Amino acid sequence: MTITEALQVAQRADAAGPKFQVKLACGFTPLHLQTFLIAHLQQRLPGRKVVATTGLYGDLAGTIENVATGSGDLPDCLAVVLEWSDLDQRLGFRSSGAWSTAALSDILSSARTMLARIADAVSRVPAGVRMAFTLPSLPLPPMFHTSGWQVSEEELILRRDLLAMASQLAHGMRAVIVNTQRLAERSPAGKRFDLKSDLLTGLPYTLPHADEVAAALALALLPPAPKKGIISDLDDTLWSGIVGEVGPDGVSWDLATHHQLHGLYQNTLASLSENGVLVGIASKNDAAVVQKAFKRPDLLISTDRIFPFEVHWDAKSGSVSRILNTWNIAADSVIFVDDSPMELAEVAAAHPGIECICFPKADYAAGLEMLRRLRDLCGKERISKEDTIRLDSIRRSAEFQQQTAGDGAPEEFLRQLDARISFDFDCGSDSRTLELINKTNQFNLNGIRLTEADWQKRLAQPGAFVAGLSYEDKFGMLGTISIIQGRQQENVLYVSTWVMSCRAFARRIEHRCLEVLFERYQTNRMEFDFAATAKNGPVQDFLTAILGVRPDPPVGIARPQFQAMCPPLYHMVRELEENRK
Amino acid sequence: MNDVKKRLIGCFHTVFPDVPESAIPQLSQATAAGWDSVSAITLLNVIEDEFGVEMDLDQVAELNSFDRIYTYLEQQLQAA
Repeated sequence: MTITEALQVAQRADAAGPKFQVKLACGFTPLHLQTFLIAHLQQRLPGRKVVATTGLYGDLAGTIENVATGSGDLPDCLAVVLEWSDLDQRLGFRSSGAWSTAALSDILSSARTMLARIADAVSRVPAGVRMAFTLPSLPLPPMFHTSGWQVSEEELILRRDLLAMASQLAHGMRAVIVNTQRLAERSPAGKRFDLKSDLLTGLPYTLPHADEVAAALALALLPPAPKKGIISDLDDTLWSGIVGEVGPDGVSWDLATHHQLHGLYQNTLASLSENGVLVGIASKNDAAVVQKAFKRPDLLISTDRIFPFEVHWDAKSGSVSRILNTWNIAADSVIFVDDSPMELAEVAAAHPGIECICFPKADYAAGLEMLRRLRDLCGKERISKEDTIRLDSIRRSAEFQQQTAGDGAPEEFLRQLDARISFDFDCGSDSRTLELINKTNQFNLNGIRLTEADWQKRLAQPGAFVAGLSYEDKFGMLGTISIIQGRQQENVLYVSTWVMSCRAFARRIEHRCLEVLFERYQTNRMEFDFAATAKNGPVQDFLTAILGVRPDPPVGIARPQFQAMCPPLYHMVRELEENRK
Repeated sequence: MNDVKKRLIGCFHTVFPDVPESAIPQLSQATAAGWDSVSAITLLNVIEDEFGVEMDLDQVAELNSFDRIYTYLEQQLQAA
C-alpha cells in the first residue's frame, strides 16, 4: 500500500460508522505508521470508522501505562511498536549519549528495567483491550566493540532479555507478538531504516517498512476466522502414486522415495487435526483398496483423525457436499486440496467460497508455501477443550443424525439420550465464549461479530447476563455449544447475542435455553435483537416455530407463547452460579 | 491548466480533503489550518508517490505553499 492509497482508504471510511479506537504506542514520531495502521485496520473493518490515537513521544511505556490505568477512553485495541531506543535512548540514532564500552553495562541494565516496566504495564491492561506487539525491527547502532559481522555478547544479552519479555507477554495470550521472521520476509532488514527521516522527522521507518509493520499489526489485532476443515484428495496428494494402479504398498510419502513432501503434508494434517481442524477425504478410488492403504502402519496421520471418507467414483463436488453436511459447516470455512486443477475447478464451481489449493507435487518451493498457507488459514491462537473433542463429537453427531434420519428426532429417541446441559452464568471471560460467538454462522441471532472491547462493554451494562451452555449425552460430550447474552430490564430480558454450534442441532437445546432463562430471571417476555442474515436460517426456523410467522424485527416472545409451543424436553439441567470461580 | 498542476492538485486534495480543489492553487501553510509538520511531510511523500521523484525532506520548511511546491516539482521533473 502506498501512503496515497492509505490516506484514501482512511478518507473513504464511513464517518458515521461505529468508531473502532486503536491506541498506537510507539516511542518515535508515528507519522505514516499511524496512517498505514488506520488504513489496514479500516480495510478489515469496512463498516466502522477506525480512529487512532498516540501517546507521548519517547514514552512508549507511559502510553501503555495510561491504557492500563484507564486514563481517557479505553481503546478497542492497543498496537505497540517497540524499538531499541524505547529500551534506552542510547540505542537509537537521535540520542547524543556516549557509545562507550563503559556505558554498555548501564544500557543493558536500564533496558532490562524498561522491559520489566513494559511487561508490568501490559499485565495491567484491561482484559477487553486486545494487544499486538512488534519487537524491534531496526538495526542497533554500531556501538558494540565487535565488527558488524560478529555479534557481541552484550547484544546477545539484550536480545535474550527482549525475548524473555516477549515470551512472558505471549504466555496466556496476554498480547499477540508479531512474527519477526515473517515480517523479515516481507520487509527485508536492509530496507527498513531511513536515517534521514529519523533525524529530520523522527520517523525511523522507510515507507514500505511502515506499511508492512502496520499490516502485520492489523492482522494480529483483527485476525481472520480460522478455517474449520480440510478436505483432501488421496492419490498424488496425501501420498505419491495412484493407489489403484500401484497398490496399497506402492504409494509413498518418505525421503527414501523422494516423496517426503507428501509426508510433510500428512504431518501438517495430523497436527491441524490435533488442534481441532476437521480432516475429511474426497477421492475417486476403489474403497477397498484405499481401506487397505490406510492400514499401513507408517502413515503419518492416524485413520481415526480423518472423518468422513468419501471414496468412490462419483463427482468430488458431491463428496464435498456430503462432507460439509456431516460436519455441518459452510463451504467458506473449508479448504479443498487436490492435485488436479480440473477437480479443483469442479468443486470451486459447486461450492462458492471454498478455498481450493492445488497440491504442487514436485515443486518443493510451492510445497513449502502450501504447508505454510494451510497453517496460516487454520492456525489458532489457543487450543480449547472443544478443539480436542470436536472430531469425536462430529462422529457422534453423525451417529445421532443417522438414528434420527427421516422424521426429525422421535420422542422416544430423545427421551433415551440421557442428555445433560450445564448452564454457566460466569463464562463471560472464558476465551471460548467470544470465539464461539464470532465463528458461528447458522444459529446466530444476528451475525454481529464482536471485538473483545465490544464484549466487555456489553457485560458491563446494567442488568447484563451471559450464559454458556455445555452439552453431553450418551453419544459423547459436545463441550460448550451455545452462548446467550443480554440484559434484564424490569420484567423483560433483552437478548443481544445468541449462538449455538451446528453440532448441537435437533436436540431441543434452544428450547431448554429459553425455558431456563424465563425461569431463572422470572420474566414474562424476551426481546431478541434479531436480524436475518444469508446464513442464519436455523435461528429463523426456530423463531418461526415459536412465533407462528417468519421473524420480522422487532422480535419478542411472551412466556405463555413459548410454553404453548415448547415441545417436551428431556435434558437434565445443571446451573453453575455467577462468581463461582 | 497543465497536467502536472492537475496531478499536484490531486495530491493536495488527498492530504487536505476538506479544501475545495478550486482553492488549492492559492493554498499555503499560512492559510491552511491543517497544514502542520506532519501533513507537510505526508504531502511530500504523496507527491513522490504520484510523480516518482524524490522530494527532499531538508526542503520541507521552504516548500510551504502550492506555488513553491509546484515550482520545485517542475525543476525536479526537468532534472529527471
